[in-house]
Amino acid sequence: MADDPYKALGLGKNASQDDIKRAYRRIAKTDHPDLNPDPAAHERFKAASSAYDLLKDPEQRARFDRGEIDAQGQEQPQRHYYREYAESGDNPYRQPHGFDDLSDVFSDLFGGRAGGGGRRGGARSFDMRGPDQRFTLEIDFMTAARGGSTRITMPDGSVLEVKIPEGAHDGQVIRLRGKGGPGMGNGEPGDALLTLIVAEDPDWKRDGNDVETTLPITIDEAVLGGKVEAQTIDGPVMLTVPRGASSGQKLRLKGRGIRGADGRRGDQHVVLKIVMPPRVDDELARFIEEWRQNHAYDPRRGK
Amino acid sequence: MTQPHHTLAETLEAISDLTPEQLERYIRAGVVVPVQSEQGPLFRDIDLARLSLVVDLAEGYHLDEEALALVLSLVDQLHGLRGDMRAILDAVAREPVETRVRLKAAIREVRVVTR
Repeated sequence: MADDPYKALGLGKNASQDDIKRAYRRIAKTDHPDLNPDPAAHERFKAASSAYDLLKDPEQRARFDRGEIDAQGQEQPQRHYYREYAESGDNPYRQPHGFDDLSDVFSDLFGGRAGGGGRRGGARSFDMRGPDQRFTLEIDFMTAARGGSTRITMPDGSVLEVKIPEGAHDGQVIRLRGKGGPGMGNGEPGDALLTLIVAEDPDWKRDGNDVETTLPITIDEAVLGGKVEAQTIDGPVMLTVPRGASSGQKLRLKGRGIRGADGRRGDQHVVLKIVMPPRVDDELARFIEEWRQNHAYDPRRGK
Repeated sequence: MTQPHHTLAETLEAISDLTPEQLERYIRAGVVVPVQSEQGPLFRDIDLARLSLVVDLAEGYHLDEEALALVLSLVDQLHGLRGDMRAILDAVAREPVETRVRLKAAIREVRVVTR
């Protein structure tokens, strides 16, 4: 950025706060990188934008004027322009418009269905089906795994109940028939298309239709083995920990994973993790010391 | 695929010139479509960038939600086409010279009108 933020906005030091805002808005109008592809315009906008960030707060501006901070020191984290996201092929805001444009070229090239071709004829009659509307819906791990329902608020403020099928996965699209844009004339409304995002869960890791959980066990359970309660998607089950279990050892619960498209369920892998008691008391320390004298072993040696 | 999401409060914090009332109007008009979740709307990085642009457009040109929705839809088409064009140009650039020359000639024929 230019050393002099006032110059970047084309102003003098005695400009009012209103002048500063107006100057920035004027430059944003002509030189915004989302509207103007010219690299020189981009540079002007970048300079004006960081100048505005510095000067829009009167207190910060006063500190700069007194020389307490310099223009560089106050530079904001780099601004991301919309075009950085909007040019990517999966921009969720780019609705299929059915124009005779390059998207059609792509579907021709790669053998997709001719985009919107069927709908174009509708423009001539008065009845036209409403447009499909796309939304993104985030659900938690359990809702995705077990299925269930969740509520979403449509842009118009109405609330819809959405059924989530059992075993829903990231990127899956749910179609709500007739919940999209209104049709014209006697045309039916379009559909609402919800793309699902399954939120990450600290306790449940998912790999396809398999899931992985971590089960903390005590040292006595690790040494002696025994039955320990473990969580599954269907609720708690009693799991047999083998005698002499180690941290990191995996136990498989067959058929306790996510239900796949073929109706079969994946597996759950339970990773054991030995957890020490909150305090190692004298009794335990003494016992281990005695034990070590006759039973020392080295797990770091090759097997 | 999970991206960092910003809550309503974080979003208003990040875009200082945006008021809660404005944001609500933009959501209602479909200018910005946040991710829905049980905890309320969540905003992706693309939504923040879009809202920054919306603020610049709204204040610079005094646009209301309807006009903004139109302008944004045009901007989306433009950016989308630019992305498509870059992809095609990249694909063309990987072709051998003869193919590129042939394509250039074909494009010139269709696109450049000589009088």
